Amino acid sequence: MDKKSGDLNIAIFFCRQLDPDQDVNRRTLEKEMGERIRFFPLPCSGRIDSLHLMRALEAGADKVYLVTCPEGACHYREGNLRAKKRIAYAQSLIQEISLDRDRLELVVTAPGKRLTIDELARELLSRDDKGAKA
Amino acid sequence: MITAERKPIAEIKEMIAACKKVLVVGCGSCVAECAAGGEKEVGLLSSALRMDAKASGKDLEIREMTLDRQCVYEFIDQLTDVIDQYDIVLSLACGAGVQAVAEVFPKVPIVPALNTTFLGETKEAGLWIENCRGCGDCKLGFFAAVCPVTRCAKGLFNGPCGGSRTDRCEVDPDVPCAWQLIISRLEATGRLDLLRKVHPPADWSKQQGKGPRKISREDQRA
Amino acid sequence: MITESRLKKVLHKGDFAVTAECGPPKGADPEVVRSKGKILKNHVDSVNVTDNQTGVVRLSSLAACALLKAEGLDPVLQMVVRDRNRIALQSDVLGASALGIRNILCLSGDHQCFGNQPQAKGVFDIDSVQLIQTVRRMRDAGEVIGGDKLASPPDLFIGAVANPFADPFKYRAARLATKVEAGAEFIQTQCIFNLKRFKEWMALVKEYGLTNKVYILGGITPIKSARMAEYMAKQVAGMDIPQEVIDRVKGVPAKEQRQEGIKIAVEAIQALREMDGVHGVHIMAIEWEEAVPQIVEEAKLFPRPQV
Repeated sequence: MDKKSGDLNIAIFFCRQLDPDQDVNRRTLEKEMGERIRFFPLPCSGRIDSLHLMRALEAGADKVYLVTCPEGACHYREGNLRAKKRIAYAQSLIQEISLDRDRLELVVTAPGKRLTIDELARELLSRDDKGAKA
Repeated sequence: MITAERKPIAEIKEMIAACKKVLVVGCGSCVAECAAGGEKEVGLLSSALRMDAKASGKDLEIREMTLDRQCVYEFIDQLTDVIDQYDIVLSLACGAGVQAVAEVFPKVPIVPALNTTFLGETKEAGLWIENCRGCGDCKLGFFAAVCPVTRCAKGLFNGPCGGSRTDRCEVDPDVPCAWQLIISRLEATGRLDLLRKVHPPADWSKQQGKGPRKISREDQRA
Repeated sequence: MITESRLKKVLHKGDFAVTAECGPPKGADPEVVRSKGKILKNHVDSVNVTDNQTGVVRLSSLAACALLKAEGLDPVLQMVVRDRNRIALQSDVLGASALGIRNILCLSGDHQCFGNQPQAKGVFDIDSVQLIQTVRRMRDAGEVIGGDKLASPPDLFIGAVANPFADPFKYRAARLATKVEAGAEFIQTQCIFNLKRFKEWMALVKEYGLTNKVYILGGITPIKSARMAEYMAKQVAGMDIPQEVIDRVKGVPAKEQRQEGIKIAVEAIQALREMDGVHGVHIMAIEWEEAVPQIVEEAKLFPRPQV
């Protein structure tokens, strides 16, 4: 990617169970970044479809995150396992059109400390700032 | 159902390389069931092709449509008003659907996005297994509903062969020996006597035909 | 030139028959076949020629049988159903008979995926049991499949294979019964290393009343090396090699393993001679035809009887 990390368009698909107050907590970042960030809450990360990820990329996202609950902690038991497989499918599809599979990133949250969606998102964004991807 | 798999994108791109306007048509029947050519798959493929075109600075306009069935005129007709606006039709139907559309619109180039594979069942979500080869002379009643033509690698009617070991086929340890299955099912239902006689040679002309086979029903024709 | 099946004569006479296998070359040189024939000639009653075994293209069984016939041997034409449809199979049956070949062994054939032509279409127009039935019909009723009459019927002694070690074990004798009913007159079994299991199978076969309906020849393969034994045990479908046998060969220094293998083979043949219902031995010395004369002599089966 040629853009500087500060200019990236980000899409974050995430499981609502991670932050029950996500609709409020995400507003700050939405204000700060405007159109460059879009949040997509899901009733369970397992409800993600590869098509959603493709459409997000097509709509201009430089980076798409899929954030799931910790392994073994899915409220619906296997949702996060399904999410893993579906993002993998989308990753292999975009590789066929010569896109870096890391454009789509699976984030399995760690058990224990609960972060708000705001804290989670900021952590992901700062990783990218420091990160090797540029 | 008829199963199929999407061709590699590289192959598909080559087929539509010279085209600027592509009509991508899916089918809501068999290929939707096996997640290869339904509405969702039309979306995935179109997304990928559009992004790829954009990245390479190519001009590409795609319209996505999905018909209930691509092998029946009444549904194919839904393309009539739009098809002329496109350089090519990229069909996600099975081979039957691709050809049926071409019969109705012979002047429009139509290319297949899928490789049509076999007749099979959905064994479990995401797993499709071949179980019929359309031999035209169904003998399932003699073989405890396990098709020896399809599920025995050698198509034996008087099996098993000597290579069957621990109920697996010699060609692949993941493949069960159809004959072991036939025998155990017949045994379990007290019908082993069905195997006592030598089953005679099959009439393969019913499968091979003289060219493409057909069925004509006068009572069903206009 | 022999016009009768020597194998049939030996078996009818009640002698313990000896057959061996000749693998044709992956090439067009007839001398290879002739020299193998010369090695085997006086030590066996008949010689089987394999038919593109494991799906690897080799000099055809029919041609090799004709070459052996010209050398004065009594060949057994092995015919698989994998490569030819019923037209070709029936045609080759007539051709074999015309060339003076008097024995035929009908089998399915290993799947084509194993050989050097994995993209070939496996034919399997008819299966091995249907082939047995077809040959008998051509010979005894003088007609082909479909009923059309032959101007002159072929003359062939019909054989089939049996694998006492494949699954399902219980059904194997029933399968043999089907083959006998179809017309099999002699049987050559898959190679025997597990004598105990073979005896169990023979008991089942006897129960089915088959021991007086068909001549059974027990298959024997001399082990060349411990590695060969392990390979066969693991990789070859339908084979049963007990650990004691493998260990026995392993327990001997590499240079002596061939001789140990021959010893094991000879002992097995001696055991077969004692078994009720076993009428002969079929020695499959894969690419080791030279071992056959030694095995036959040490098993005290030389010279072969006059028939």
